[in-house]
Order: sequence, then structure tokens, then C-alpha cells
Amino acid sequence: MRWLLRLYPARWRRRYGAEFAAVLAEQPASLGLFFDVLGGAIDAHLHPQIQHSTRKQTGPTQIEGDDSMTAEMLQRCAAGGPKLSPRDQKIASTFMIGSALVMATIYIVLAKMYHHAPAVEAVGYSAFPAMWLVYEQTAYLRRRPWYTQVLIAFALLAGMYLFMLGMCVIASKL
Amino acid sequence: MRKTKEDAELDDFGRFSEPALLILVSLADGPKHGYSMTEDIEAVAGVRLGPGTLYGAIARLEARGLIEPLKSEDRRNPYRLAPLGERALRARLDAMMAVARTGQRRLASA
Repeated sequence: MRWLLRLYPARWRRRYGAEFAAVLAEQPASLGLFFDVLGGAIDAHLHPQIQHSTRKQTGPTQIEGDDSMTAEMLQRCAAGGPKLSPRDQKIASTFMIGSALVMATIYIVLAKMYHHAPAVEAVGYSAFPAMWLVYEQTAYLRRRPWYTQVLIAFALLAGMYLFMLGMCVIASKL
Repeated sequence: MRKTKEDAELDDFGRFSEPALLILVSLADGPKHGYSMTEDIEAVAGVRLGPGTLYGAIARLEARGLIEPLKSEDRRNPYRLAPLGERALRARLDAMMAVARTGQRRLASA
């Protein structure tokens, strides 16, 4: 089952590969073991910053690793992980689903009132990307000052809506 | 009961919370490498951690500074409990004991 190690990210294998393989070699092959290793590999890909330890090995040698600035960047950029707690993820997911429902409701009401005008269609097409923008907002920007959050959220949503509107207007003339 | 800062150290570990706690317990009596931890945890708690779960928890504990790797001559890298890990373990065990005592008291008076 050693080949399963290839499913892990290269950085993870450099750090834990040898000792992981030693533990794996001691275990009898089974379906449960296969799924456990597979689950670990998925987790390592989903949370790349966790395997990136900048802590020093106790003793004369040190674990290979990048500098602390890279570690900090990884923690800030990668999805999930220590800086995005399960509570943060739940809040962000709630906002994401809520925003999709609100956008869908607005689209249904506007479509009923104004039929399929390009401005209404653009609302419908904006619902999906808007959902991700709201997720990003609530997950990664919510500790920033409120005016930064408002500026970034409105600028992104407005830019995206204008893009969709432009596409809908062009499509209506074809 | 109000949680202490140390007790909250394991809160963000998700599905790795329990394996992480078992690893801390295993390292409480001295450094161990991965396979020794697996054996010890099975003897203590009756749970055999697969390598995927074990190293998912080890990576998180190490990233948080709760455990530390030691220098090793062979590929089986031993780990030891870091001071922060010891405090987190004490806090978590105290909290669990408080819950257990309350449960026992309530059962006794029921």
C-alpha cells in the first residue's frame, strides 16, 4: 500500500513521508486502511498550511521548511485550516447559502415584474458568482475594518453585475 | 463551565480532535514515534488509529506547537509533548474530569 503515499502533496511527503511509510508498513492491508490513507491525503491537499511547520527539530538537525513569511502567506491564502475555524466556516457557509437564496428570490420577483429584460437576466446570472464572493467576504475579510469590507464587497459585486449586464445586453442584440 | 485558553487549543481540530487528544495522552509519559503511539493508544483507549488519521493529527499538533519532533537516526521520527501541549492536555483532562464527576454525582442522586 506504499503507493498510496503518492496521493499526498510533495511537501507533505518530504516532511512526513518516511515515518508515515514506516507506520504504514506495520499495518495489515485492509479496506479500512485504504480509506484512512485516502482521507488523510484529501485532508493534506485541503489544508496545505497544516503540514507546513516552521518549528525547529529538537537536536542538531532541523526539519526542512521555508521561511516564516511563506508560512504566514500560506496560512492566509489557503482555504480552511487553523486560521479559519469550524465556526468561521459555518458562518461563511450560512452567508453563502443565504445570499444565493436572496439573489434567487430577487431574480424571481424581478422576472415576474419586468419579464426577461437584460438587467433582470444579469441578476440571475450573477447569483452563482455572487454566492462565492459573499463566502470569500465572510471567510477571509470579516476581521478587516468594516469600510474595507463594504468597499471590496460592493466593488466586486457591482463589477460582476455590470459585466453580466453587458453580456446580457450584447446577447439580446444578437 | 468556562473554557480556559489551553482547553480551547484542540477545538479547531475538527474530526482530528479525539485522535489529537489520544496522541497527547500517549506522549505524556515520554517521547514516542508514530508506530509506538498507535500501539500505545490501542492499549490505552482500544482505538487503533490509521496512519492517515495519525499523521493528520500529528501535523496539526506540530503546527500548533503542542508537540515537537526529536532528532532521529532512522526514519521513525519520535515526538515529545511540548510545554504548550502539556498545558492543553492538563486543561482538557481537568474539563473532562469535571464533566465526569458531575455525571457520576447526578447518577448517584437519581
